Amino acid sequence: MTLFDRVFSGNDAVYGLTEQAINAAIDQYGEDKAVSFPHTAYSLPCYYAVTGTKVTNLKDLKEALGVVKTLMTREKRLNDAFMSGVATALCAEFIEVLKYIDGATPYEEPLYGHLADAVIRELGVPLVTGDIPGVAVILGSAPTAEEGVALVKSYQAQGILVTLVGGICDQVAEAGMSTGANVRVIPLGKDVTSVIHVVSVALRAALIFGNITPGDAANLMKYTFERVPAFVNAFAPLDDVIVACGAGAIALGFPVITNETENIFRVPKSLIVQTDVSKFNATSLEARDIKIKITNIDIPVAFASAFEGEIIRRKEMQVEFDGSRVDCCELVQTKEMSEVEDHKIEVIGPDVDEMELGSKNSIAYVVEVAGKNMQSDFEPVIERKFHNYINCIEGVYHTGQRDMLRIRIGQAAFGAGFRLRHIGEVLYASVKNEFEAVVDKCQVKIYTDPEKCTDIRHNVAQVTFDKRDDRLKSLTDESVEVYYSCILCQAFSPSHVCVVTPERLGLCGAVSWLDAKATNELDPNGPCQIITKERPIDERIGEYEDVNEAVRKFSQGALEDVSLYSIIEKPMTSCGCFECICGIEPLSNGVCIANREYAGMTPIGMTFPELASMTGGGVQTPGFMGHGKHFIASKKFMKAEGGVGRIVWMPKELKETVAERLNVTAKELYDIDNFSDMIADETITTDPEELLAFLEEKGHPALSMEPMM
Amino acid sequence: MGDFKLTTVEEMEAATARLLETGAKVGADAWQIRVKNQTPHCKFGEQGICCRICSMGPCRITPKAPRGICGCDAHGIVGRNYLKFTAGGAATHSDHGREICHTLHEAAADGAYKVKDPEKLIRIAHEWGVETEGKDIYDLAHEMAEIGLLEYGKPFGYQRFLDRMPQHTKDLLIKNEIAPRAIDREVASSLHMTHMGCSSKPEALVKQSLRCGLCDGWGGSMMGTEFSDVLFGTPKPIDTEANLGVMNADNVNIVVHGHDPSLSEMICEYADDPEMIAYAKEMGAKGITVSGVCCTSNEVAMRRGIPMAGNFLQQENVVLTGACEAIVVDVQCIFPALGPLSKCFHTKFITTSPIAQMPDSEFIRFNAHTAAENAKAIVKMAIENFKNRKPDLVYIPDMKQKATVGYSVEAIVKVLDGVTNSQVDVTGTTKPLLECVTSGVIRGAVAMVGCNNPKIRPDYAHIELMKKLIANDIIIVASGCSAQAAAKAGLMDKRAKDLCGAGLKRVCELADIPPVLHMGSCVDISRMMILVSELAKDSGLKISQLPVVGCAPEWMSEKAVSIGNYVIATGIDTFLGVDPYVSGSDQMGALLTEGTRQWVEAAFTVETDINKLVDLMIERIEEKRAAIGI
Repeated sequence: MTLFDRVFSGNDAVYGLTEQAINAAIDQYGEDKAVSFPHTAYSLPCYYAVTGTKVTNLKDLKEALGVVKTLMTREKRLNDAFMSGVATALCAEFIEVLKYIDGATPYEEPLYGHLADAVIRELGVPLVTGDIPGVAVILGSAPTAEEGVALVKSYQAQGILVTLVGGICDQVAEAGMSTGANVRVIPLGKDVTSVIHVVSVALRAALIFGNITPGDAANLMKYTFERVPAFVNAFAPLDDVIVACGAGAIALGFPVITNETENIFRVPKSLIVQTDVSKFNATSLEARDIKIKITNIDIPVAFASAFEGEIIRRKEMQVEFDGSRVDCCELVQTKEMSEVEDHKIEVIGPDVDEMELGSKNSIAYVVEVAGKNMQSDFEPVIERKFHNYINCIEGVYHTGQRDMLRIRIGQAAFGAGFRLRHIGEVLYASVKNEFEAVVDKCQVKIYTDPEKCTDIRHNVAQVTFDKRDDRLKSLTDESVEVYYSCILCQAFSPSHVCVVTPERLGLCGAVSWLDAKATNELDPNGPCQIITKERPIDERIGEYEDVNEAVRKFSQGALEDVSLYSIIEKPMTSCGCFECICGIEPLSNGVCIANREYAGMTPIGMTFPELASMTGGGVQTPGFMGHGKHFIASKKFMKAEGGVGRIVWMPKELKETVAERLNVTAKELYDIDNFSDMIADETITTDPEELLAFLEEKGHPALSMEPMM
Repeated sequence: MGDFKLTTVEEMEAATARLLETGAKVGADAWQIRVKNQTPHCKFGEQGICCRICSMGPCRITPKAPRGICGCDAHGIVGRNYLKFTAGGAATHSDHGREICHTLHEAAADGAYKVKDPEKLIRIAHEWGVETEGKDIYDLAHEMAEIGLLEYGKPFGYQRFLDRMPQHTKDLLIKNEIAPRAIDREVASSLHMTHMGCSSKPEALVKQSLRCGLCDGWGGSMMGTEFSDVLFGTPKPIDTEANLGVMNADNVNIVVHGHDPSLSEMICEYADDPEMIAYAKEMGAKGITVSGVCCTSNEVAMRRGIPMAGNFLQQENVVLTGACEAIVVDVQCIFPALGPLSKCFHTKFITTSPIAQMPDSEFIRFNAHTAAENAKAIVKMAIENFKNRKPDLVYIPDMKQKATVGYSVEAIVKVLDGVTNSQVDVTGTTKPLLECVTSGVIRGAVAMVGCNNPKIRPDYAHIELMKKLIANDIIIVASGCSAQAAAKAGLMDKRAKDLCGAGLKRVCELADIPPVLHMGSCVDISRMMILVSELAKDSGLKISQLPVVGCAPEWMSEKAVSIGNYVIATGIDTFLGVDPYVSGSDQMGALLTEGTRQWVEAAFTVETDINKLVDLMIERIEEKRAAIGI
């Protein structure tokens, strides 16, 4: 059989099964029975992306199957094989959605099944920064569990997001490997059809970040081919169904690497036979042109972004350092070149092996840097990365910042020989690696002596923090000479441009004005470029000729003009990876904000994924705006429409996070005390009528503001 | 991607029409007019049944007079004419190769001609069993040139390059007495066989046609190609532009035309000289633009990115722009019409080779010793002619396309290396291409070659065939005027991938190539023979089993017939859009379209309906695939 014959045969088989399954479901539930995946605004995301049609019930699904049939042409051309592959994938989606009828939960931990929109939006930033350099889809059973686990771990150690389908799910479970989105190993399901849940991620990424019009299949496939760094590892034996699925993957641009040697064809960069499973990793990365940033750090445990989300529980912990109980701090200090000895790491005080198991200790680590281009403004930028660096250590966990930090070192890491010096190694290597343009020399001092820690925290660190806070307060949009563009996301969202100002950080929440400044310093031709602000057009909405010119240039003409402070008039665009989205709530004349983590309903009648799907992809959508969490308390938040006083509703958790700063801003702008108490949340109501009543009762300022529309 | 659009034949014709208006103004003649004057053509000539090889005739075959005076029938006459036609082509290509051997023999470290690709010279020396260790590269060059020249007249043995063939092909040729011996011998034997009173048996005449073609493709042409690479560099992918719009109204325009790169290389060298550019500015121009016509253009485009002004039937157009200061020619395919035409404008028509001397031209005899001086004098003459331009006659059609050219076999293998995976694959082979073919991603390959011919709407067949083939996932290698037609249309722009089927499109994207690969001039069809041999060796299949065919839809010259013979003799079915003057003999027709299979496993297909021609090729490719179960 030729390769195409195998694809066609696999496609026919899956189509037959799908038809039976849909007919059986109709017999059981009737045509009007609703079908949907949870937590997505994109209906059946794959079918919707490919055809532009939303499926709501079994009747629609049956019709959709008819459309799928039209893709199943049988000319001996790759296009026919590709389309049959896509048809196979769509059939898989139909089979999968039937499992979710009546709100069923067909997948139990550790299996994930369908992934929520929020998961994809979270992936946006790490994918563009290369923090997640690729997405592996592993399918079938490895020859042995050991080989399977070793393969998964090899990707994990490189920060690659790994999704598992079929026998490999059991193999990693049996090996006791911890899995989950937080460690970037996601077992999807045991049926081959569950592979659609990762395809669904890729296609939604194209809709969310790429502004691909649903139904524009050609550009959809171009987007995934060019911008989604995914690949497939399929273990032998490959039956025709898997070969058909593989054709779908290759159609989207994802190469398939397999150890199957029977009745298989080879296609350069697309279908590669690698009989040695231990070389799957290297073969796959080369096939998909994925480059791994090598940070070779001399520590006894792994160091990779995949471990960033890893949690060390109390019972797994060797020791902890807890800034909320004892004196701790982390600090970057700029020194003279002569004062720094490069790569010197000192531990001053007892090391981990001299501490009691499970004990709480003090720690103060000071990273002293020197460099010709170093500026004290970059200290907090570097310092904020410590959380990320230390978290990337396998078996070590870090939360918080400044003097309110906590570090836990797990027993496994300790057993592997991890000591405090290794934290120094990680900080040294990471700072030098990421900030090479400004840091010429770097040394690390780690204090655990309690008295020293107390001294440093109070007499050095806090003094520095106070100074920085004063500097930050003085940093307003008016006080600086220039803003910065940020087009970091353009790898994913080709026409989106963020304009980053001191009072308005990037919508992903990851790029403040200082970050942008440092990024510009590191690479003047890189993603953050200086934007002057010399020719204001309208100060009320924050529109500048210079800014418009920059936006036009950086969006390759896709965007004409933007305002910095309005959600209605020429609002700034979103890439899709925003932390929060706010949207107008007409009844109350205010806005509701939902954050990515919030899964429930809002008074606007839409969930976060639904709100988020209204914007993104670098398109202006008046009335909706993506933004960072920190922007909420900014005096520039919706300044043109009256400011933070417009906020009428937020999820409780988000409200608590921003309350303190928001209250300060409201006090200053409107002389209102405890403004956050006037803002409703899901524990109060998600109904617009009830919301209005609540706001009236509280005397919320939005009610007396001018109508927004 | 959005702004990419092919240039249509209609647009090219409109540009030509506009230029012919200029021609009419100055009373210029044109091939379009001459075609009308020559129509209808002589039927006896068209059918190949006119014999004038002795002075008893001329004899013409009719139903009433089925034999010539000597008694030769239509089959013998058609066969002899066919062989003579072939011999003319083989002699031409091979003499070009001989000139290159002589140039190689003149190469010197401090001379005008240098060895630019010493590695390739050493590689060929090893193939030929010549010791290279410790030898000065120029000593080696001279030794190799001499051995090459001996290939033309060696008393015994076959052409050395036959060792590059898959064993099966070589054995087959030897077994059937088709393996070519000394080049000059095959040409001479052909003329001997066609002499009055020698061969009149179609089988014998066709067999010798194949052998004579092979001495071109695997002898003279191959040496021309290989030693040109040694002298001027082996082509690698390079960006250029094509069509008349490459000429620049503000600059001194020098157009090189013909086939032998020895002259044009030198012209390009001196046109780039700061001293010459300064001189051009002094004379009121903004700079110097060298562009090319025909295969000389292909040679310099492949190696230097020199733009291509046009192909065979566009040679008069470059003069009609009124902006051509000099058209400098070497050998082959040069219209004698250029002489009188140039007199209607300020254009200098400069002939340089004793082989191609024409009335109304300035003859500057070019040779390897004085190459530099000759080239400098020519460039200077063009510059000084800039002031004689008549501004009201200047019209350059604003029409050009981007093209990536320069796909020698070496470059193709390098491109293929780029899509290998170092964890599983070896490099330096054609295997990635074979994998694309066996998996069905690419259905097959077509070698598109040949000229323009007024019998076919110029460029239409080339372009339309290519468009349909690439839409069917068939990759194209092109050379000669066919390659230029593709470049002018935009088919050598990498963005043309969007016109391909999904399979070829994906291959173009992954390998970063255009769907039509420019392999060079007409002697460079030898490159295609090497490529197909490598494919056969790497796959373990016979050449004739590969889903690969050749096609010359608009061919016109004797060289093209010689090429056709060696392509089928190599095992590749070849499709022609113009009949090679054989319709007067059903026996010859049957031999050429079927009979040759018994000796070389391939044959011609002649189909003048271009749409049918392309469908026949696709059909043949699919048949070949089915036969090997892919």
